[in-house]
Amino acid sequence: MATIDGSSIKKLIVACDAGMGSSVMLAGTLKKQLAKTGVTVEHSPVANIPADADVVVTQAGLADRARSTVPGVPVVPFQLFMGDPAVTKVVKAIQSGETVEV
Amino acid sequence: MSEYTPTVTGTGWRARVQKFGAFLAGMIMPNLGAFIAWGLITALFIPDGWINEIARLVSQNPDATVPFATTTAALVGPIIVFLLPILIGYTGGRIVHGQRGAVVGAVATIGVILTPLAYGQAESIADLGPQFLGALVIGPLTAWILKQWDKLVEGKLRSGFEMLVDNFSAGIIGGAMAIVGLYGLGPIVTAINNGFAAAVGFLISNNLLPLAAIIIEPAKVLFLNNAIGNGILVPLGADQAQEAGKSILFMLESNPGPGLGILLAMMLFGPRAVRPTVPAAIVVQFLGGIHEIYFPYVLMKPVLFAAAILGGASGIAVFALTGVGLRGPASPGSIIAYLLVSPPSDIVFILLGIVVSAAVAFGVGALLLGFGRKEPAMDLDEAKAQSKRNKNKPEAATA
Repeated sequence: MATIDGSSIKKLIVACDAGMGSSVMLAGTLKKQLAKTGVTVEHSPVANIPADADVVVTQAGLADRARSTVPGVPVVPFQLFMGDPAVTKVVKAIQSGETVEV
Repeated sequence: MSEYTPTVTGTGWRARVQKFGAFLAGMIMPNLGAFIAWGLITALFIPDGWINEIARLVSQNPDATVPFATTTAALVGPIIVFLLPILIGYTGGRIVHGQRGAVVGAVATIGVILTPLAYGQAESIADLGPQFLGALVIGPLTAWILKQWDKLVEGKLRSGFEMLVDNFSAGIIGGAMAIVGLYGLGPIVTAINNGFAAAVGFLISNNLLPLAAIIIEPAKVLFLNNAIGNGILVPLGADQAQEAGKSILFMLESNPGPGLGILLAMMLFGPRAVRPTVPAAIVVQFLGGIHEIYFPYVLMKPVLFAAAILGGASGIAVFALTGVGLRGPASPGSIIAYLLVSPPSDIVFILLGIVVSAAVAFGVGALLLGFGRKEPAMDLDEAKAQSKRNKNKPEAATA
């Protein structure tokens, strides 16, 4: 269980196994959704998440590895690559600057 | 309370296998562009490639060749024998120890490539085969040795001597490991390579290759798709394609058919709440080649593992019975990538195999989903919660 403060997020990382396929796709979507907020959205392999990430979004099957790469950073696992409520929650929290539990 | 309660930080068997697989795939995947360049050049310019086949069709002369294609085909051998393994050794070195590691990894790789010359198994450079396995081992290993050296001397060097020591330590370790690769590691990886090739040959000649789907399809859905497809099958396939001009091994994991069948079954008969999300997923999976997108649907309805396995196996059976293969890797596994690296003579049966695998996965999936009749008006959260329960079971057992 982790708490994320939407207003303090400057860098969101979308991680997948290779950092080349699904993460690039979802990062593209989130970049558009978060364009107005000024938050940096990047994609990376789960083994190589940058340490300065404020929040990591990854598929539930890869979440354990993401947590072991960046132990201090909140990891938000999701199931579906499109239209997953967990991802929507993070986007809304960033847009509104609210604090949510993930 | 969120339903996404994090599990204990991951060292489960799945995370460990994924990590090792990602390490292998991490050496191959950044270089897929080079593999594809090789695959496309092969598909176009070799004696029975597109250009010569079209020339034969146009001129009505079955022996016609285009001189331009013959000359250009000279690129094929050196790219696969030298460029691709050296890129893999370079990338493996970079993962372990940055740019310095990359350089020594590349230097050491040349040793394993030339092993057959050192042992009289090849007369000249033209007889060499690709040494992917050797590159996957010696690249990171050499970088690791250099890393240990760099740690040892860090802070102990007299000011002004850093560059001298850095350059010569890399040169000496890289050069020494090239010799180790040439005489020591080369024979071992050649033996292992031959073992792999024999095992694959055994499966093919006994029509057992479809059984590979029993391992490949479930492993894919557990996010081992890159590990298996790119980490293992791409190097093995490239090895086979260098001799045969094509390989079925490129098609075992990357076939977009089973995923398409599963998504179609899910679209018509899956939980009602997720049905609307499926059409976009089909585009991303079948055309874009990002297979990850259908894995969550299988985890949501684990009966679909059976649909994936039977779909995959029937596709492989069609590919094997008709004797087709791809010139190079289809990565990502998109129908477009498939068409671009298919040999002209095989294209019909390749499409047939994809259609059959999609049809079987769809049929089995539809049946196992009870044609949607058992489906109550379940909402997305419920479906996801269920998928989570199903998914956590095996991990809970090993944690």
